[in-house]
Amino acid sequence: MTNAQFTNEFEQARPQLKAYILRITASVQDSEDIVQDTFIKASEKIDTFRGESSVRTWIFTIASNLAKDNLRAKKRWTENVTDICREKALSNPNYFPEIMQIQQTSQQAKFEIKEHINFCLTCISKSLPLEQQICLLLKEVHEFKVLEISKILDITEAMVKYYLHTARAKMVKIFEGRCALINKKGTCHQCSELNGIFNPKQNFEEEKNKIEFAKKANDPNREHLLDLRLEIVKNIDPFNSNGSDLQLHHLEHNRKVMDDVTKKK
Amino acid sequence: MTNMASDGKAVTRKKVFSRETAVRIDIQANKSIIWALLTNAEDFSRWNSTILSIEGDITKGEKIKLKSVLDPKRTFKLKVKEFEAENRLVWGDAMGKRTYTLKTVGDELTNFMMTEKIGGPMFPLFARMIPPFDQSFEKFAKDLKKEAEFIQNSK
Repeated sequence: MTNAQFTNEFEQARPQLKAYILRITASVQDSEDIVQDTFIKASEKIDTFRGESSVRTWIFTIASNLAKDNLRAKKRWTENVTDICREKALSNPNYFPEIMQIQQTSQQAKFEIKEHINFCLTCISKSLPLEQQICLLLKEVHEFKVLEISKILDITEAMVKYYLHTARAKMVKIFEGRCALINKKGTCHQCSELNGIFNPKQNFEEEKNKIEFAKKANDPNREHLLDLRLEIVKNIDPFNSNGSDLQLHHLEHNRKVMDDVTKKK
Repeated sequence: MTNMASDGKAVTRKKVFSRETAVRIDIQANKSIIWALLTNAEDFSRWNSTILSIEGDITKGEKIKLKSVLDPKRTFKLKVKEFEAENRLVWGDAMGKRTYTLKTVGDELTNFMMTEKIGGPMFPLFARMIPPFDQSFEKFAKDLKKEAEFIQNSK
């Protein structure tokens, strides 16, 4: 593989790679750094690439190894992360002026429920053990096969299946208890609250019905609802969406809050 | 009880000063999946209908708190006494110990065995108060087989 071919392949993978690392670290800076370090490391090792896997798999392997050593990736959050961060945002006098300023100055600050769903999944998935979160993202968001994930993480296919299964089961359970979009008794209404703030003229019920998994909230197959949720996530580039500046600010806020929470423990 | 059939049926042997219950079953799954299920305390009650909760880390020397369906009001404080990855796990207290053993017997085929021995000099005095384990052991083995095989067959 020539340097030009590699660079071309890398640039094609870059947006997905960056989104993957962002979801693991919850840090814009760390995701940019890790993606750049991956590029440098892979460029130096082009000679060792034997084509036993695709270039994309190889790039994700290097990035995953770098991410696993990243302190912010190692930090795991609690399931009630959105409650903790909501309280902190409400008690921070600068929080709303900041987001209002982003709204006024950025072209990518439109609040959309589906983007908040993507943000929410990032936060909730950080309560999974790291291996489980990585397997979930690689399989369900970035569409790697179990065999490819086993190569990326250097673990057996059996363990990939185990991590994936337990990750999915835990995500279903957490969303079941928390997400008011699928459960009337769900404790988290953050997407409707924020939609009310940013889009006061919108009818939330109408908007909610545009979300497939919310429309099918009574489906007894709760795994299917998770699949529909992941389908939304799969189609969002957190760095280049209609509301990316808003959601990234929100994510940075949550990360800083959770950094403090985990420091105190 | 090492020669017992791998049919998921529990067998109990009673002696004056002890009681031992065992179950053995073949599971069409990689040993690592079964081991992971048996050592993830937080996840136990999701797939195992005999366990209400396990708190703590299931690893060598650690103490765990277990609540069982058999006696929901009681919390068993147990110590992980042996931890041989993917082969053997033992936890227990002064009254008794539970042993899990895994053996690969074919391609992605694992033989699972669980035994619990309780006893001691005072055992005859409280033996009647301890419910039989057979049904619970059979459920445990059945649940483990179902969950492990489901994971093994997932795509």
